[in-house]
Amino acid sequence: MRTTRRSFLRLAGAGAAAATVRLDAAPAFAQASHAVKLGVLAIRAGIAAPVGAAGLRGTEWWLERVNRAGGILGRPVQLVLEEESSPKDTVERYRKLVLQDKVEAVLGGISTGVTLALGPVAEDLGTPWLSWDGTTQKGVEETMPNPRWAFKSVDNEVEAIVAGMLTPRYFRGIKTVAGIGNDYSYGHDCWQSYQTVLKRYVPDVKFVLELFPRLGVTDFTSHIAAIQQSKADLLMCSFWSGDATIIMKQAAAVGLFKTMKGVFTTAGGVHDSLKKDFTPEGLLLGYNTMYFDDPKGSPLLKQFVREYKAKYAEYPPYECDHAYFCAESYKAAVEKAAAGGTTWPERAAVVRALEGIEVESLSGRRSWRQDHVQMCNFYQGITTHRNSYDFVTIDPVEVVSTKVAMKPAGTKLFDWINSWKI
Amino acid sequence: MTAHVVNVVLSGVFHASILFLVSAGLQVVFGVQKIFNLACGSFYALGAYVGVSAVGWYLEAGGPPALFIAPLAVAGLAVGAVGVVVERGLLRFVYDRDETFQLLLTFAIVLMMEDAIRLTWGTSPRSTSGLYLTYGRVGVLGTTVPVYNLIVIGASLAIALLIGGLLTRTAFGRIIRASADNREMAEALGVDMRRLYATVFALGTALGTLGGALVIPATVAMSEMGIELIVEAFAVVVIGGLGSMRGALVGALVVGVLRSIAISVYPELEMLLIYLIVIAVLVLRPRGLFGGPRA
Repeated sequence: MRTTRRSFLRLAGAGAAAATVRLDAAPAFAQASHAVKLGVLAIRAGIAAPVGAAGLRGTEWWLERVNRAGGILGRPVQLVLEEESSPKDTVERYRKLVLQDKVEAVLGGISTGVTLALGPVAEDLGTPWLSWDGTTQKGVEETMPNPRWAFKSVDNEVEAIVAGMLTPRYFRGIKTVAGIGNDYSYGHDCWQSYQTVLKRYVPDVKFVLELFPRLGVTDFTSHIAAIQQSKADLLMCSFWSGDATIIMKQAAAVGLFKTMKGVFTTAGGVHDSLKKDFTPEGLLLGYNTMYFDDPKGSPLLKQFVREYKAKYAEYPPYECDHAYFCAESYKAAVEKAAAGGTTWPERAAVVRALEGIEVESLSGRRSWRQDHVQMCNFYQGITTHRNSYDFVTIDPVEVVSTKVAMKPAGTKLFDWINSWKI
Repeated sequence: MTAHVVNVVLSGVFHASILFLVSAGLQVVFGVQKIFNLACGSFYALGAYVGVSAVGWYLEAGGPPALFIAPLAVAGLAVGAVGVVVERGLLRFVYDRDETFQLLLTFAIVLMMEDAIRLTWGTSPRSTSGLYLTYGRVGVLGTTVPVYNLIVIGASLAIALLIGGLLTRTAFGRIIRASADNREMAEALGVDMRRLYATVFALGTALGTLGGALVIPATVAMSEMGIELIVEAFAVVVIGGLGSMRGALVGALVVGVLRSIAISVYPELEMLLIYLIVIAVLVLRPRGLFGGPRA
């Protein structure tokens, strides 16, 4: 078999599982001796590699806990890892996971460019697929409204909608807004959604500048010069990787936020690189769907943050919880479908059980909507230096549910926003 | 208005300074070894990561923050030695091969370096925290500029002058130019080509790694940061002329400043404008502004 860097099988999970499952707890079914294989797709290279690593770490943490507690229906769980890269290659690896490795379900998928292609394949192969962060949206509109096997992440633009709702609350009197985002679907969709929402709350707001640098740019000094020149009251930025840190640093260097308010919808993905030295207080900062320092966080979140910090010397970003939820909801659905028994349920019964299921995840209760979209909370707030870290956190913490900030099943995004009663 | 123009131009010149160092590395290697080194961007990324680590160690050891630029520059230059390993270990086997092999090999180095960086420093972006503002800001004709940006611009200019001096006023420079002009003749006259190639490649690498190290306080290190720069470096060498150091300087300024103006005036044109100029140069003056007859 040809082994490449893109093809690797993590046996450690199975090894750990075998070592930790109590033999006396194993049910007396022949199949109980087999490990349950779950496929995992994680981005390993490029800009989104840290996001992929976080998802994988969240899944591995879940795996250790579950195997220590006896697995799923008494069967230890084993992960089969594959890399998420281009849509074409990832589809091939997805097929390999299902057809060759014979996994029970596939977890993962981050880039919507990839997961748009995975959706129909998952339907075709008839194996549950639970996406961490990818949707099957083209732009802001759904392409697979009634999937059977595909379970998708929250809509890409929710963080921008939440920021649009919170902007008028924290920054009264805003009249002009400049925007910067990456030059691909996510950046443009977030900007458009943010504008539409803000316009609902502040009808006379003017959008005076929009910049869309390519993903991967590491020098924004020229962009910042243009932003300064626009003299906008507020800058909205949807960067989510190292570029969020870079623009913060370079903006601070010219004192941009002394005169301008700032909204960073997703920079919480790289939160611990937003050092106090250059990240000012008073910005609206989004952490997406998990805030590691949530004062109201559950014991599960606190334990996870503690152990993650001890193991990786950093604080976990939201992707960990997308991944944890996918794995945990799958386990809950299998147990629900088994209806108290120990016979492994049919895959069709598992996906039926997943619909509407709600479980405790790291950030709190999360569920799958009936149309297979993930439901959770978004965390945004105002940056503060009052903490024990060398980076900013947020206070107050605004928690906004996807029940209010994500378009309901079957609706068009902008029609929905324009139908709000404000 | 003046303030805004100064702001835009200085932003462009800052970008051009880094672009010049990487392009200069590309030019010196192409000039002598006739290899188009795609890995120049990876050396830039390597320099950035090594710079982050070096500054981290320096500060942990109690070094005064005001002098952080010293360990940064030393680390950036020192890691250029990796060029010798790459040249002796890989490149020397393809000098007589088709150009396609050389391109493929340097592209393989890009991929390997990206993975090596990820293995060594992890996947998360790395930064030097708030050192960027150690030297404060200064007002220039009504606009505020971080002093560090001016230091980088100055350093880049100094390096350009040093390389110019090295190539035109030293025996080593004459050997380099002679070998670039006619390798067989230089070899027949007793130039040790193996040594020269290793030295030139190390010099080209060191320019890239130094560029990466110098830029890091103003940005963050990401394993794929080099790829972005390679694309712009291509434009620089086409505009300036393949193999010409003066071309690298002028090309970098053209690309850096035009990019900055485009972002400020009509952001959608950012890359289009640069490539329109690349096309114009290719059509009207295929050897670039400073390219020699053989370039």
